[in-house]
Amino acid sequence: MNLAATGMAAAVAIGLMTALIAALLPARPALIGTGTALTGAAAVAAGAAALAGGSFSVVLPDVLPLSGVSLTLDPLGALFVAVTGGVAVAAGIYSVSYADTADLRARGVQTALPVFVVAMVLVPAAANVGTLLVCWELMALASLVLVVAEHRRGPRVASAGRWYAVMTHLGFVSVLIGLMVFVAQAPDDSFTALREAGRQLSPAVAGVVFVLTLAGFASKAGIVPLHAWLPRAHPEAPSHVSALMSAAMVNLGVYGVVRVGVDLLGGGPAWWWLLVLALGAVSAVYGILQAAMSSDLKRLLGLSTTENMGLVLIGVGAAGLFASSGDHALAALALTAALLHLVGHAAFKTVLFLAAGSVLHATGTRDLDALGGLRPVMPVTTAAFGVGALAASALPPGTAFVSEWLLLQALIHGLPAGGVAAAIAMPVAVAAVALTAGLAVATFVKAFGVGFLAKPRSDAVVDAHESPLTMLAGMGVAAVVCVVLALWPAGILPAVQAAAGGVAVSGDVILRLDQVTGALSPLLLALGLVAAVVVVAGVVRTAAVRRVRRTARLWDCGGGPMSARMEYTATSFAEPLQRVFDDVVQPELDVDVSHHQESRYLVQAVEYRRKVPDRIERRLYQPVLRLIAAWGRAGRGLAPGSVHRYLGYGFYAVCGVLILLAVTR
Amino acid sequence: MLSLWRKIRRTGRVAEPAPPLPDGERPERAAVLGGSVQIRHVDAGSCNGCEVEIGSAFGPVHDGERYGARLVASPRHADVLLVTGVVTRNMAEPLRRTFDAVPAPKLVVAVGDCARDCGVFAGAYGVAGAVRDVVPVDVEIPGCPPRPEAIVEGLRKLTGR
Ligand code: SF4
Repeated sequence: MNLAATGMAAAVAIGLMTALIAALLPARPALIGTGTALTGAAAVAAGAAALAGGSFSVVLPDVLPLSGVSLTLDPLGALFVAVTGGVAVAAGIYSVSYADTADLRARGVQTALPVFVVAMVLVPAAANVGTLLVCWELMALASLVLVVAEHRRGPRVASAGRWYAVMTHLGFVSVLIGLMVFVAQAPDDSFTALREAGRQLSPAVAGVVFVLTLAGFASKAGIVPLHAWLPRAHPEAPSHVSALMSAAMVNLGVYGVVRVGVDLLGGGPAWWWLLVLALGAVSAVYGILQAAMSSDLKRLLGLSTTENMGLVLIGVGAAGLFASSGDHALAALALTAALLHLVGHAAFKTVLFLAAGSVLHATGTRDLDALGGLRPVMPVTTAAFGVGALAASALPPGTAFVSEWLLLQALIHGLPAGGVAAAIAMPVAVAAVALTAGLAVATFVKAFGVGFLAKPRSDAVVDAHESPLTMLAGMGVAAVVCVVLALWPAGILPAVQAAAGGVAVSGDVILRLDQVTGALSPLLLALGLVAAVVVVAGVVRTAAVRRVRRTARLWDCGGGPMSARMEYTATSFAEPLQRVFDDVVQPELDVDVSHHQESRYLVQAVEYRRKVPDRIERRLYQPVLRLIAAWGRAGRGLAPGSVHRYLGYGFYAVCGVLILLAVTR
Repeated sequence: MLSLWRKIRRTGRVAEPAPPLPDGERPERAAVLGGSVQIRHVDAGSCNGCEVEIGSAFGPVHDGERYGARLVASPRHADVLLVTGVVTRNMAEPLRRTFDAVPAPKLVVAVGDCARDCGVFAGAYGVAGAVRDVVPVDVEIPGCPPRPEAIVEGLRKLTGR
C-alpha cells in the first residue's frame, strides 16, 4: 500500500468511525470536530501523495451489489480530494466550539458531518459509475440533513431545505440518466471501459450524455440558471457546513464536468465547450451582480460562489474549446487557471464563511445593515475576513488575482486559436471576467467595510465578543493557506498542472507562461506594494511633523453627534450599482411618505424598502412551480376520499390492463 | 444640446460692466487669501430675502465669481463664512461649530440688517442675537435685503479685485 492508498483508507476509516461514535454516544462536538478534521488531514495527505505520482486503485466487488466499489486516485481526482480534505480540516476544527449549540448537538446532525466529508472525499476517487452515484447521493443526503440542522430558527430553513432537496435530486436524476445512456454503450460501468467507449460514441449520443451530465453537475456547482438553491441553502446552513458546501461540494460539480467531458468522452465538438463557456460567463456576471445587491452576509457569500464557479467554468470551457481546435498548450493553460481558481476559491470561501459564522455566533445577525463596528470587539475575525475579502477581490496581492490573470492570459491568447467561434467568444469572455472582477471588488469592499468597520449599526453588535479559540484556529488555518496561495502560487502549481494534464506555467518566484509571452510575480508585486505603502506613509509622516497639529471636531453639519443611522449601509453602498444595472436586476422600490396630521407640508416619516428579486428565478421557476401546483390541484379532484371510488379505480385499472393484454397478445 | 448652444449665442454676455474697486479698508487677514476667496453661506435664521439676493449676486448679471469669490459646499473648504439672518437660539451652536470648522485664517461676513443688528426681528423671543454676538464679524453689508451690487461690493473688499 502506498501513501495515497493509506491516506484514503485512513480518511474513510476515521470518518466512518467518527460517524459511528456520533451516532451511538451522546453528543461530543469536540470529538466529532476533531474526527472530521483528521479525516480531512488524511484526505489531504492522500491527495498530495497521489499528485506527487503515487496514484492507486482498488476494487472491492462485494461492498456494493452489481458492479461493486471501485476507487482510483488519479491526479485530477487527487486535487479535488486534497481540496475537500483541506476545507474539512478548517471546518472540523471550527466546529468544535461552533457546533456546541442545542440544535447542532443533535445526534443526526453530528453524524451527518463526517459522513458528508467522507462522501465528498470518495466522489472524486470513484472509478466506476455505481460508486460515483452512490457517493454523490450520500453527499447530497448528508448535506441535506446538515442544511436543515437549525430548522427551529424559522420557516426559511425548512424552505431552503426543500429547494435544496428537490434541485439536488433533479440534478442527480439528470446525471443518472446521462451516465446510464453512456454505460449502455460500454461493456461495463468502470471508467476505463467508458473511456474506451467514449471515443467511439456517435456525436448525437455523446452530445446527449454531455448535456445531461452537464445539467446535473452544473446544478451542483450552482451555475445559473440552476443556482436557485444555492443562495437559499448556503445562508441557512450552519456556517461550517456552508464552508464545506461552498468551498468543497460545489467543486465536485466542476469535477464532474471535467471528468465526463474531458476525460471519459475525450473532449468533444466545440459547441459543448461554448455552452460551458456561456454558462460560466452568465453565472459569473449574474452571480456577482446579485451578490453586490445583497445585504445578507452569508447570502452574499453564497452568490459569490456562483460567480467563482462561473469563472472556473469559463476556464474549463475555454480549455475544451482550445483542445477541440487542437491547441493543447493553451488548453492546459486555461484548465490550469480554472483549477487554480478553484483551489484559491476553496481557501478564501472557507475563511469567509467561517468568519461570517463567527459574526453570526457573536451578534446573532447576518444582516449587513445591522452590523458594523466589529473591528475593536472581534479583531481576529475581522482580520480573517479581511484576508478572505482581499483574496476574493482579484486584486494583488490576493489569491484570485493570480488565477484570474492566468485565465485572462489564456483567453486573450486564445483569440487566434479557434476560428470564428473563438473570435467571438473570447472577447466576450474577457469582458465578462473583467466585469466580474470589478464587481467583486465592490462587493467585498461592501461586505468588509459595512460589516466590520465604522460604528455599530445596532445593539446586537454592541455586546459582541470574540469567538472561542477553536473557531479562530479554524479560520486561521484557512487564512494562512489564503496568504500562502496568494504570495507563492508556484507552490501549488505543479499539483494543479498535474491535475490539468499539461504544463503551461513554470517558475518559482516569477511565474512564466510557457507557450505565450507573459510573466507575473505575485511575491514581488506584494513586496512592491508594501514598499510603496511604507514610502508613502513615511513621506506623509515627515511632511506632517513640520505642521502644527490641530484637533478639531468631526464635521457633522454642526448639528450634533452623528448617530449610527447616518452611516453608509450596505443598501446605500449598492445603490449606485443598482442604478447602473437597473435594467438587469430590476429592483422593486417602495417609498412611503407619511405626513403630519396638522399639515401636508410636514413629513413625519419616510419609509424606503428595496428588494432585488432574482429575475431568472422568477421567469424560469415560477411558471414551472405554478404549473406543478395547478397539476396538483387538478389531481386533487380525483381523490375525494371515497373508498368506493378508490375501489372503482382499482377495478377499472385491472380491467383495462386485462383488455390491453387480450388485445395485444 | 444644440438648442443650448443657440441660446448661449443668442443671449450673449449679460454681465454688467465691472464697477470700480470699492474703497474702504481691506481686512488685514483677507490679504493672505491672495484674491481667491472660498465662501460658505450659513443661514442662521433669515427670512430668505437675503438668500435670493446672494443668488443673484452670483448669477450671470452681477457675476461675483469674476472677482475671485466662490461659493463652496462645506466650511472645511471655505475661507469665509457668509452669514445671513438673525442668529436664532437653535442656530447659535451650529453657527459656532461651523465657525470652528473653517480652517484659519478665516473671516466672517454678516449680510443684511438682521445679521448686523437683528433688524426687524430685534427682541423677538427666539432670537439669540446678531451675528457679532456669536462669532467675530469682519465685514458687514447693510440693507434689508442688501442689493446684489452691495453684496458684490462687500465681497470685493475681501478679494481686493
Ligand atoms: S435682512 Fe431683511 S431680507 Fe435679510 S433676512 Fe433680515 S429681514 Fe430678511
